[in-house]
Amino acid sequence: MKLTRRDRIVLLSPVVLLLLAGLVGPALIGLVATATTYSPFATKVEFAGVKNYLTVLQDPQFLPSLRNIVVFTLVAVPLELSIGFALAYVLREPIAGRPVWMVLLLLPWLISPIAIGVMWHFLFGSAAGILDFVGAWFGQSEVASPISDVRLALAAAIAVEVWRMSPFVTFLLLPSLSSVPAERWEEASLDGASTAHRILRIAVPAVRPVLLTIAMLLIGLSLGTFDIVLILTGGGPGTATLTPALYSYAQAFQVNDWPAGAAGGWLIAAAVLAVGAVYMRLARRGVEE
Amino acid sequence: MTTLSGERRRKTAVRGSVLLLALAAFLLPLAWTLLASLGVVPDNNKRPPSWTGSITFDHFSEVGVAEPGFWEELATSTVSAAFATTLAIACAFLAAYCLARTRFHGRRLVTQGFLVLASLPAMAYVIPLSDVMRRIHLADTLAGVVLAEAAVTAPLAVYVLYGAIAQLSPEWEEAAVLDGAGLFRVMGQVVLPLVGPSVAATSIVLFAIDWNLLLVPLVLTSGDVKTVPVAMSDFFTFERDLDWSTAAAALVASVLPVALLVAASHRLVERFRLEQDNARDIG
Repeated sequence: MKLTRRDRIVLLSPVVLLLLAGLVGPALIGLVATATTYSPFATKVEFAGVKNYLTVLQDPQFLPSLRNIVVFTLVAVPLELSIGFALAYVLREPIAGRPVWMVLLLLPWLISPIAIGVMWHFLFGSAAGILDFVGAWFGQSEVASPISDVRLALAAAIAVEVWRMSPFVTFLLLPSLSSVPAERWEEASLDGASTAHRILRIAVPAVRPVLLTIAMLLIGLSLGTFDIVLILTGGGPGTATLTPALYSYAQAFQVNDWPAGAAGGWLIAAAVLAVGAVYMRLARRGVEE
Repeated sequence: MTTLSGERRRKTAVRGSVLLLALAAFLLPLAWTLLASLGVVPDNNKRPPSWTGSITFDHFSEVGVAEPGFWEELATSTVSAAFATTLAIACAFLAAYCLARTRFHGRRLVTQGFLVLASLPAMAYVIPLSDVMRRIHLADTLAGVVLAEAAVTAPLAVYVLYGAIAQLSPEWEEAAVLDGAGLFRVMGQVVLPLVGPSVAATSIVLFAIDWNLLLVPLVLTSGDVKTVPVAMSDFFTFERDLDWSTAAAALVASVLPVALLVAASHRLVERFRLEQDNARDIG
């Protein structure tokens, strides 16, 4: 129906107010505050320019966290997308019990990341875990937990995140893949097309727009990784799994350097907004083609 | 024809085995945890290793002993997630309808902007958010948690519901307008029933996200209001030597409500769509 100007104001103001109060507003206040020496309990506030950001960027704790999150995102997101896609490809045509499989596959995503951290902490490390059990089969009495090994901890955290998110990618991709008309797969089989051909020529084009959307969500959320590593490794050993989000949280609420914490948070926001700008350009090109 | 059906049988076998392998990989850790919560744990001293213990529900009652507030925290999580979902969906539905029925240059940029907001990790804004909430006296209140959780999830809901409404042909609404219906009657009696399944699917996904949020309730509360993820993080930060079976029972109890919700409504959840119909949407 035709909306009047008044209608539009009435319809849009709830969401605008909600986001101003709970998301965009606080983010902008944070941006202004980090240009000063403001902290919730400071008595005097002075202009500080980019000093807080320089403090963070020069902190010997922050650089490893930056390296970790880049590795984490570059490894985890492509793995999640490809495993999620492969599973959706297998599930694209109705198969006996598909709804049941889908609900079961969603379980890792339905568990809170904090609970997953606790769970894998035990599964990796304790005598009742999976690794020791498998080790015992091969006559090993105890297997060292990968999360307490500096070289393996980040890989273990990535593995847990991939385990958690891949089936969710499947869930998001499945509608697009199963909406490809059955005749198209039939034709391809009759033509003797290879599986690679079917994937690249039929499946990938069908899901490309939604794949881009999912990639945006995964990259953004992965850049803010916090919950999953908090209990699993706590950022350690050393700084092996420290992330910018863990760093910012510790600065603001444990070390009581509020400006550094808020500045760290804004560095994450800036990275996500930069990815968002690329996403918008790519999505636009998709429409114009 | 025989070769074709042979081919088909071979394909079904391949699909079946890939699926079984994937299910094993994704579900084995969960089965391990479920068994531990029921008191069945591996015994690695035997060769080959075997399983010991008989099935018991004692570990679930131990959760209430180790963390006396656990059942209350489950209730807090449920109530806050339910309110936050309702608030986010209500605001998002109004906004999505407005965006879908207003033609303007840059509309795609606005909807994609909501998706970028949905991808923004909570850490990007929770530090100032906790300060703001404290100053407006909403720190450590259920209302504060609900408001913040609704704000976290509303952008995703706007994006998804916009996609659902934009696909509807406006004819139904125009017919209702000719019958004299006003804006809210059109939305409530024509649009809402048509996109009902999408709204329900989005609500369930939002509820699951809210249920599992950690950072937002963590920085906004300091003891009076405690959700399950916050309680878990407190607990395991300070007492890491907890008995594995009790921890496993707490994990199972914490996921059971959302798992049952999704299982019971899987037909609706399947209607959750991130994709948008680009063809209708140039402008």
